[in-house]
Amino acid sequence: MPSNCPECGSSNVVEDDLYSQRQWVCVDCGSVVSEGHLTTTLSEETQGIAVPYHASTEESKKPCRNLIAGYSRVRALCRILRLSTDMESAVVSLFGRAYNHPNFIYVTLTKKEILGGCCVLSVCRQCNWPVAMGTVGYLLGVENATLGAVYREFTKALNIEISTVGIMDMLESFCYDFKLGPQQVEEVFAEPPQRLVDRTSALIELAADAWIVTGRHPLPLLVAAVYLAWQSLNPTVRMKYTLIKFCKIGQAPEQSWRRSRDSVVKRLKELRDVLCKLGRALPWLRGGTVEPNTVVQLVDDILKNRRALLMRAVRNYEHQLQNEAQPAQMTECDNKPSESNCSDSPSSKTPELIDPIQVECESPSDKEATDCQLPPNHWSKSHLFLPPCVKSRKRQRVDAPQPEVTGDEDISDSEIESYIRSQDEIEMYLKVQKKLKET
Amino acid sequence: MEQNSSHPPYPQVLASPPGAMTPSLPIFSPMMPYGTGLTPQPVQNTNSLSLLEEQQRQQQQQQQQQQQQAASQQQGGMVGGSGQTPQLYHSQVSTTTALPGNTPLYTTPLTPMTPITPATPASESSGIVPQLQNIVSTVNLGCKLDLKTIALRARNAEYNPKRFAAVIMRIREPRTTALIFSSGKMVCTGAKSEEQSRLAARKYARVVQKLGFPAKFLDFKIQNMVGSCDVKFPIRLEGLVLTHQQFSSYEPELFPGLIYRMIKPRIVLLIFVSGKVVLTGAKVRGEIYEAFENIYPILKGFRKTT
Repeated sequence: MPSNCPECGSSNVVEDDLYSQRQWVCVDCGSVVSEGHLTTTLSEETQGIAVPYHASTEESKKPCRNLIAGYSRVRALCRILRLSTDMESAVVSLFGRAYNHPNFIYVTLTKKEILGGCCVLSVCRQCNWPVAMGTVGYLLGVENATLGAVYREFTKALNIEISTVGIMDMLESFCYDFKLGPQQVEEVFAEPPQRLVDRTSALIELAADAWIVTGRHPLPLLVAAVYLAWQSLNPTVRMKYTLIKFCKIGQAPEQSWRRSRDSVVKRLKELRDVLCKLGRALPWLRGGTVEPNTVVQLVDDILKNRRALLMRAVRNYEHQLQNEAQPAQMTECDNKPSESNCSDSPSSKTPELIDPIQVECESPSDKEATDCQLPPNHWSKSHLFLPPCVKSRKRQRVDAPQPEVTGDEDISDSEIESYIRSQDEIEMYLKVQKKLKET
Repeated sequence: MEQNSSHPPYPQVLASPPGAMTPSLPIFSPMMPYGTGLTPQPVQNTNSLSLLEEQQRQQQQQQQQQQQQAASQQQGGMVGGSGQTPQLYHSQVSTTTALPGNTPLYTTPLTPMTPITPATPASESSGIVPQLQNIVSTVNLGCKLDLKTIALRARNAEYNPKRFAAVIMRIREPRTTALIFSSGKMVCTGAKSEEQSRLAARKYARVVQKLGFPAKFLDFKIQNMVGSCDVKFPIRLEGLVLTHQQFSSYEPELFPGLIYRMIKPRIVLLIFVSGKVVLTGAKVRGEIYEAFENIYPILKGFRKTT
């Protein structure tokens, strides 16, 4: 506090505020000796400051732009898949939860989009609405593997119970996707969807009994089954149409066959083989040949009697295996796939079989295909219908004989020395490295 | 033992709350399909069980047999709510037994797909022994290492710091691979038995020693064991996932096998349609054998012969 006035030198200086500004004024000459600040700092003010956002009572946070974009994308997905409004709102709320979960709030935008697809998948499964992962992956433009990884993380983070969707659930909506109504295609191609569904479901049940379905992607199998079903409903006319032609006629949904054409062809072959095996057990054929290309004509009969035919085919196979167990004469027949040699063999002793010759002659060709890969007494030989992965093993795994060790043995120095470079080697290595770096 | 047989048949049912899985209780057990007609009999099990546990299991079997008969008479075509946790029993190690008189006769509705099961089926142990395929172990060499020196002076080492911050070293006998970190810690993989893993880890430590570092052999620990076997019949995975959905995950579009997470012992099994089973996540060999003995009766239930 100043005590002397610089103008007149008196020591009579009083504090006399001018409005809100502190001033020290000399009483004698009236000059202002010193004054305080006119303005105040923020920390000095106690009133009149705007309340900051974080201290306000504002509870709800405005959703960020990406979340809003995510919501609209998820809603679009629901509309494409034609989900009900309840399901759509469930998906949206689940997406909100997932987005704000600490595991997912900082991931890339693509992963957040995939997360939206996972929410759709999860809600569809909970409501038993059959949607394949391949469909959702196709809509998002990602592979199944990526989608699967995010889906697993998502179910673990949010503790959602996974329920599997079976191939039969997806069947009906898949069949209805094909446009085969009488107005859309010609009369010979037209097929009411319900008939197609019935025939296809019978075919898929048959395939499941013959172990073609388990462990495989469902969509290629569905395409193959629908194609065979459509052909078999009017075989005389439709037999000449290939799979690709059928997909074009019926305007099949592209994602089902475009990406996985090879798988569809393979499943088709497997289905036809199963139908041939059953067709051969038909009693009224009496030894006529059943070829994969023409088996479509018999599909109707086969499906009507499939239970009986399955049992019969398996029984025939078992009888035939028993006959083969008898030594000597059968081995000759096994190596020669020609029909005449087989019919000469004396081992067709089973009188209740109507076509033993047929069955015997079909099995040698099977055995030849598999003999080279499987050991002779492999357990799969005694089953007629098996998952294809068992019968076609490309490479035999040979387990090398394991040394018996105790873990605490002595380790020879020479062995360890063999793992260490000598000085010459090191020098050569350094030289080569230097040369490589220079170039 | 005598006091239990004089009691009226109470179900040895632990009514677990729907959807909950209390990890403290050992509540996993093998399941048998409904109505196969096999009466559970005392099992001459060759697993490493104590006599006491054997006796406990036999008691449970007898009581469950009586209860099953009573239930089948009164049950009729009762179809309960799906999605309930199936009736679960202690299988091999039982720390608690149901107190007679405390549990009511029908706690949760029974569905045909989740049958009451005896503790173990009538057959003996499967006779198949899973083979160990891979052992992962860790050891601390106890000193800081200079990875560049190791990579330069060892013949069997590769080191690419931009890709991975460890030296990858391999030896021929036992055929294994080791990851050696600059902190002195080492991971050894590829051995087919615990002893081989220990021997291999010692050999790596000896190599590092010979390269001039004061390596020791501290805290050797087996972290993971992987085994595999073949049950020799095809398996209906769709059926298995329906009856054991709390443990199984089967997505044919993602992976052709079924992933079964067993609670006791804590093992993950990959079950394939061809009948091959891969077991992983074990810390000791016995867990793999125990897990396989647990799953084998279940798989037999899903073996279907056309």
